[in-house]
Amino acid sequence: MALSPQTTPSGYQTGFLLPSIHSAPPFFTEQPNPNTQAQFNEQWIRLILTYARHRRLFSLRVEDAVVAGSEWDEVLRNERINRRMVPAHLSSILAAMVAKNLAVYEPAKQTSAVLLYWRLPEEWADVLHSWATATGQLNTILTYYEITDPPVPSSLSDIPLPLLKRAVNVLTRSGRAQIIGVAEGEGIRLFAGGK
Amino acid sequence: MHRLGGVGLAAFDRQKESQRSFAELSSELSKAQVDHLQSQLTQFRTALSHFATTHRDAIKSDPDFRHKFQQMCSSIGVDPLAGPRKGGWWAEILGMSDWQYELGVQIVDVCVSTRERNGGVIEMGELVRMVSKLRGVGSGVITEDDVMRSIKTLQPLGAGYEVIDMGDGEKMVRSVMKELDEDQAIVLAEAQAEGGRIVEEILETRRGWPRERAKAALENMLFRDGLCWLDAQDQSHGKAYWIPSAMRWDE
Repeated sequence: MALSPQTTPSGYQTGFLLPSIHSAPPFFTEQPNPNTQAQFNEQWIRLILTYARHRRLFSLRVEDAVVAGSEWDEVLRNERINRRMVPAHLSSILAAMVAKNLAVYEPAKQTSAVLLYWRLPEEWADVLHSWATATGQLNTILTYYEITDPPVPSSLSDIPLPLLKRAVNVLTRSGRAQIIGVAEGEGIRLFAGGK
Repeated sequence: MHRLGGVGLAAFDRQKESQRSFAELSSELSKAQVDHLQSQLTQFRTALSHFATTHRDAIKSDPDFRHKFQQMCSSIGVDPLAGPRKGGWWAEILGMSDWQYELGVQIVDVCVSTRERNGGVIEMGELVRMVSKLRGVGSGVITEDDVMRSIKTLQPLGAGYEVIDMGDGEKMVRSVMKELDEDQAIVLAEAQAEGGRIVEEILETRRGWPRERAKAALENMLFRDGLCWLDAQDQSHGKAYWIPSAMRWDE
């Protein structure tokens, strides 16, 4: 049997190219050898983040490994070789991702769901700032809703609120944004400002 | 005591005289010899460089010719690939050492980049295939022979690259400083026949190993050496071992 990269049978945009390791049965087992386990974790994390970026997925839950039918199925399961990731394994991968700051537990104080950082909050901050600059919305007050659901779709469309708030925090810390209380809750004002 | 030169002042002169003529004669003789050698060497060099320039392309591109050439060189005691110090001139003319070192670097490249998934043991055929791909040449241009020769040139680096003969023509290249014991070599050979998968039972039925021996060999490879992976979802045995270097990987 040759192990080769597989393109996902795609209903969403274009197919995603799964690495050949995804066709190797042991990839779906937690490895007792710490070195091997570290390498497998690296590969899982890379795979999860590239897949999340490909499909713009922002969260991953241990539950996704429990029941079939989640948007993560084609990564967490491989029907061709009849393997799937068990929840305990996924849970330890999530922990590794949080430790490497490639994800955070969201909401806090639990360990079964994470917010994925396929872009770090700092990177999202830059995306947000350049978007506001390009669309001429500097110095005006923007609600979070106007950012996550703009009339013209942007790369910030559908970004989860907790992640957006983290990005805004990065900007306020560097003096490029200000949080303002508005009628419906909170809004922000972005400034040109240097870094 | 009777002296050859007799006694007296004149003897000194006579002795000096004869010493001088001996010295002259000897230097004349050795000069003639050196001249002779030099002309022979020039001739040899011309012939060699002629051969090298005429056949350089053939040596580099034709694996069969290259093999014959290497054999010829070793039979006359010339190593065309010796480092810059000895035989550097020969290598320079052919551009052969560069070729070989380059191949060596690419071998290291492939071995190191695949180590993560094969634990530092790669099947010779796959190594040749991947190196050929790296060089962008078709199959058959780089031979096992070339790879083995290059690995030999890597030896002074002490990186522990070694070719392991598995019997029946199968060869593996090991790029980690680990001794592969006899049992592990057998496990590797059996796994190869199974596309990488191995369970105790295979070793028991095919090799007549007692279960403990099979278990110990596999667990050592798993826990101690990181040479194999565990699959806890195996349909028939529940638990199977996979040896990455025996699995066929298509990039």
